Amino acid sequence: MTPLVEGSLAPISASHWNIKRAAHLLSRAGFGGTPAEIAELAAMSPSDAVELFIQGRDDGPTLPDFEDSGFWEPSLADFPPSRPATTDQAAESGEVMGVKNKPTGPRPLQPATNRFFYWRRASMLETRRVAFWWLERMLRSGHPLEERMTLFWHGHFATGEEKVRDYRKIKLQIDTLRAGALGSFRDLLTAIAKDPAMLVFLDSTHNVKGSPNENFGREVMELFTMGVGNYTEDDIREAARAFTGWSNDDLEFRFDEAKHDTGEKNFFGKKGAFDGDDILAMILDQEQTAIYTASKLYRFFVRDDIPEDFAIELGSLLRDGDYQLAPFLKTLFLSEDFHSDLPIAMHIMSPTELIISTYRKLGLDALPGVPDPYTTGNTLGQILLYPPTVAGWSEGRAWITPGLLFERGNFAREVMFPDMISFVDPNYEPGDIVRRTNDNINAGMEITAATLEEGAAPSATAGIQESFNTRFGNLMGWQEAMRKLKPTPRAAAQFNLTKTLSAEGARTSEEAVDLLAGRLLCVPLTASSRNALIEMLTEELGTSELERAQGHTEYGLRLVAHAIMCTPQYQLA
Amino acid sequence: MAKRPKLTADERNTLIKSGYDSIVLEGAGGIASSPIWSKLTKQDPSDRILVIVELSGGNDGLNTVIPFADDAYYRSRPNLGIREDKAIRIDDHFAFQNSMSGFERLYKDGQMAIVHGVGYDQPSFSHFSSMAYWQTGAPNSGEVYGWLGRMADAIDPQGHRQNFLVNIDDHQSIAVNAMHHVPLVFDDPEKFSRRMFHAEAEAIAAGDAQGDVDQNPSLDYLFEIAASASRSERLVREAWDSYETPVDYGLVNWGLERVAALIAADFPTNVYYVPYRNNAFDTHVHQGNLHTRLWSYTSDHIAAFLRDMDRLGRGDDVVLMAFSEFGRRVAENTSLGTDHGTAGPAFIIGKPIHGGHYGGIPSLTDLDEGNLKYTTDFRRVYATLIRGWMGHDAVGTILSKDFEPLPVFRMSA
Repeated sequence: MTPLVEGSLAPISASHWNIKRAAHLLSRAGFGGTPAEIAELAAMSPSDAVELFIQGRDDGPTLPDFEDSGFWEPSLADFPPSRPATTDQAAESGEVMGVKNKPTGPRPLQPATNRFFYWRRASMLETRRVAFWWLERMLRSGHPLEERMTLFWHGHFATGEEKVRDYRKIKLQIDTLRAGALGSFRDLLTAIAKDPAMLVFLDSTHNVKGSPNENFGREVMELFTMGVGNYTEDDIREAARAFTGWSNDDLEFRFDEAKHDTGEKNFFGKKGAFDGDDILAMILDQEQTAIYTASKLYRFFVRDDIPEDFAIELGSLLRDGDYQLAPFLKTLFLSEDFHSDLPIAMHIMSPTELIISTYRKLGLDALPGVPDPYTTGNTLGQILLYPPTVAGWSEGRAWITPGLLFERGNFAREVMFPDMISFVDPNYEPGDIVRRTNDNINAGMEITAATLEEGAAPSATAGIQESFNTRFGNLMGWQEAMRKLKPTPRAAAQFNLTKTLSAEGARTSEEAVDLLAGRLLCVPLTASSRNALIEMLTEELGTSELERAQGHTEYGLRLVAHAIMCTPQYQLA
Repeated sequence: MAKRPKLTADERNTLIKSGYDSIVLEGAGGIASSPIWSKLTKQDPSDRILVIVELSGGNDGLNTVIPFADDAYYRSRPNLGIREDKAIRIDDHFAFQNSMSGFERLYKDGQMAIVHGVGYDQPSFSHFSSMAYWQTGAPNSGEVYGWLGRMADAIDPQGHRQNFLVNIDDHQSIAVNAMHHVPLVFDDPEKFSRRMFHAEAEAIAAGDAQGDVDQNPSLDYLFEIAASASRSERLVREAWDSYETPVDYGLVNWGLERVAALIAADFPTNVYYVPYRNNAFDTHVHQGNLHTRLWSYTSDHIAAFLRDMDRLGRGDDVVLMAFSEFGRRVAENTSLGTDHGTAGPAFIIGKPIHGGHYGGIPSLTDLDEGNLKYTTDFRRVYATLIRGWMGHDAVGTILSKDFEPLPVFRMSA
């Protein structure tokens, strides 16, 4: 058979289609899966298999909508940008976010302070629930490419709750990204430029006529469309002017004519009274925009290195198709390049891919709450809805350090052997300082004294006239938020390796190790590693014949799975 | 004896002519004319060690290097202002907190450069953003690599030197993100390990061993990391187990003792990044005693570390820089604390340093919405360390722009 050609976008023929390539497609266009799912794809034509990812399956499970805890009240729409701004506003106007100051007595601004912390904690906790809900979609969806593209766009238009401080806007943005995930990049870019979370994240409210803020004007070219070096600082300034007046009214885009600079701008060498939409259209007209976007998609789905001429070819493909993403991806996933030897098993999975593919390979139908996915993401370096900077995550090798490789193995251990005795729900863990304050308040201490650090001289409390106490406000905020918070399900993963392997016909420890390695890895174990695993399993079972170990195989099989998941091979897709 | 040469008019003029626009207080501290540390020994410059200490949370600079001679300080801080007689006077203008005897010693020994008014344009008041700006060395941009990571890539582009970068933390700081270097990140040397059951140990070790070299570069890379992890795990644990010191590191061991253990074991590391963690310096409430204590832990620990380096015979090879992501507002708040602000002091410490004051002293009355106007871009501090200490001239390629180093180094040693 003729080998597939790297750099060729020609579709592969049916004769090249096999189990290995079906598994490759499933691991990249989706999040991987079970041997049965791979076999199902391999039995289709390559074109039908790719189409299944583009369209999603008809018989996928119904995915529930996100259920709010019920934190929100309309008065919170005027949430001030910071705690000092909150108390300043309360001091000035007598109330803030629907809460009046205490008319007399100590700490008149305490209600305002409590209110501030309530929403900070509520929004943060709810954002974790949104991430949990999204991860469960990635696990269960019959249209995994849609979720994977949403994840791609989340890293591309990286917006974090830390600054937006409103889970509703974050959730809305993710919904917008999902709705446009496989549509037209032109529409998606426009939608995101008018998305409330993005408007807040890149300081659009501060971008007004006469006093432009360049944050969005810069990032839209540097990160969202073209990359550095393809525009000038003047272009940024002029773009910022064109975007003046773009703002949001809570969850809606708002154009404030009075704040818009209607003057002539000079952008990319053209002159006109451009507005934001004009600027986006002019950016999309640039060849570089299509090259940059197509290259980033290629690196996310295929491999890290992209030859320059191939990047230009992919850029033309995207641009000639008027930035329609579905046909672009279909060409890519069917191409000889995608199925050639070069990209196979070359992709180092992100923490999110690692988590979801682990669960999909085990055939789970619910996202385990133990280990906690937020904690796992934090440890492994990817917390959904909290990208580290506006540039999103650096992919590939950046995911791996010696310590993180260990931690990936430690995650696998928590999947195979969830430690229910040690588990503490992090959503109910406000930290040592809050706990200490809480203990003091519960013990009947006065507020100021209760919030002083241990070891502080008692005389320090004498004569203090505070207008509010942030530490107490933080405690009150945590308590109120945690009381309303809907619990996150904390079930361990439900699976049974004994049954799975028995159904696959495993009779010996050797066959068990091979079947588990085949299910979990896209690159084989080394011979010595395989031998060590067989030996370990045989020793653990007291026999190499599974039948003779009936009723006590599960522990040993899970040891094998854990050890396989600690290998370097397991990080690849 | 204290080294406090008074600056002559000539020296001042020379400095200004050389383009060093740092304003140096008359009578306070010395000034060196060298932006570059040129040690005349046979030792390889790659023996030089840079230790970065991150004081997370936004340290209150005004209550750290206390401008007691400025009445405006006491007007803005009627309750929190620290009286001269309750502080350690270091010259006619400034004092340290009483708990900072460690810093006092370093300053009086002429080993501490205090850089004033360190900040940047369009400051962010978010811990997260401002810290990311410091860590990437690129404010208001989408830079993904850290400034130390880029420095390591520039100095050793092939990434040949193992463990060039060490980060003592429970997660990797953006500051050490590099394209070609894999930073060694660990927290508790006892816990830098795989968690595994007894029965698995051999099988898991076998899984880390590479068979034939593969055609798959990603897999080769992962095996390399696995080998480095196993090796480093052992080396770190051994270094830690065999490290003993008579030096007292103070009440809180927040990381430099682990750095000392690795240096004592001759780790080939050039850069150590150590945060004082958990936003500790975020002192919004009743900060007086708390901030005093934080500085006793910080200054005792740093001074102990440098003493320990001396003990190990590495005093001439180590420079430490301590910073915080921002300072705090000039005025105190009504909870006897301070809120997020802008510029603050940074400290460059070590035997190669010519102690004294550097950078313009920010005015306490000419403010930007209640905040100090920065006088020294923090990337000048970085440029000082990159060029002056690490000996790498192409500062502009690392910081995307050239920044003038501060003349903090002694002429020679």
